[in-house]
Amino acid sequence: MTRLSMPKLLTLGALALLGAAAHAEGDPEDVIKYRQNVMKANGAHAAAAGAIIQGKVGYKKDLADHAKALAAINRDVAALFPKGSDFGDTNALDGVWSKRANFEKRARDAQAKSDAFAKVVATGDAKSYGPKFKELVDSCKACHKDYRKEEK
Amino acid sequence: MATPRATFIAGAALLAVFAIPAPAAEAPRDRGEYLFRAAGCDGCHTDEKNKGPALAGGPALKTAFGTFYAPNITPDPVHGIGRWSEADFIRALREGVSPAGEHYYPAFPYTSYTRLTDADLRALWGYLRRRQPVAQASTPHELPWYLRARPLMTVWKMFFFSPGQYAPRPDKDATWNRGAYLAESVVHCGECHTPRNLLGAARRDKHFAGTRAGPEDSVVPNITPDKKTGIGRWRKNEIAGYLDSGMTPDGDAAGDLMAEVIDRSTSLLTRADREAIASYLLSLPPVENVVRKKKPKGKDEFGF
Repeated sequence: MTRLSMPKLLTLGALALLGAAAHAEGDPEDVIKYRQNVMKANGAHAAAAGAIIQGKVGYKKDLADHAKALAAINRDVAALFPKGSDFGDTNALDGVWSKRANFEKRARDAQAKSDAFAKVVATGDAKSYGPKFKELVDSCKACHKDYRKEEK
Repeated sequence: MATPRATFIAGAALLAVFAIPAPAAEAPRDRGEYLFRAAGCDGCHTDEKNKGPALAGGPALKTAFGTFYAPNITPDPVHGIGRWSEADFIRALREGVSPAGEHYYPAFPYTSYTRLTDADLRALWGYLRRRQPVAQASTPHELPWYLRARPLMTVWKMFFFSPGQYAPRPDKDATWNRGAYLAESVVHCGECHTPRNLLGAARRDKHFAGTRAGPEDSVVPNITPDKKTGIGRWRKNEIAGYLDSGMTPDGDAAGDLMAEVIDRSTSLLTRADREAIASYLLSLPPVENVVRKKKPKGKDEFGF
């Protein structure tokens, strides 16, 4: 049996770890399905929050729940797009991976905007609900504009 | 007492007056700029993504007929339209002909702009004249050999193009006519949302009914009020709201080309104008036309 030197062992170990990290989130098709469901929930909470803010429906006491959910979902949207999940049934554009730094910047913007929205809702600053919600929707749109293809 | 006939004539005259598409009460100071935004000129003529100078030539527009590059329309005398007269400009948009007498390809949506009123064309011209000239050559289109001969367009126009400014429908109210004018002419929704035939002309039987062969390989949704395949379940204020914020009634945010249209054009319209477009869309004949991909049968989103 060949003995492996320490540097080689370390390299192998590092490679194994990297491999594990790439697959930690699951099979790519499953990851794609998962993120589509999470993003659908994102939209559903946004629609619900919008309906309450615009006064289409009552449920005012539930607005905080929707705002918290939006903040939670948008904590790390970029993580829903791991390497290797660019093939298959996805409308995500290549830029998600090839212009990663900018994509992550957009994701952080959504995080900041959803946090800001949850904050004004938590403090009951009703006048800011509309403007902060609009900023969040603008953030979603800005990212979709560059990184999502209209349904194929 | 007025006879019924006199009342009818007076009523018709009143309608005709109200039916002329007029800018909304809250219209901005510069009519030309308002039209420029609404018509989305910079969407094609400015290469925003590569930080190109304003109106000095656009990014590639990939279509089923080739790749088009919208030219420099700054007042530069050599590369832009600095030597044009107002009459040249009106002819270009109304008839799709350059000052040198060359026909334009309908990638330049003169098929819609032809319906602009003379007054609006003049306002638009005035605004373009006041832009910064940029000495930058336009990129030639990349077309297959059989489309390179522009005189071919003479024949195309005979079949598929009827120039002339928007004629208000006297049987419809002012809001409807304003919405029709905006949707059909200024904002030119149909240029993407109406499928084209093999020769690139709009299919009248599928007006606004969406297509899977949109520009930049995009799938363009059906925006007729068909309940199953269009936007028949959207309420008027949801459509107007979408054109403002980009959020659909499902909470999805617009993306891709429509996000650009919302950012650069429809969100900058007056609320009254967005509502007029919404009312007009809902008044269209519903066309059943599936453009979205169908979900595989038997399983739903959660795999059950």
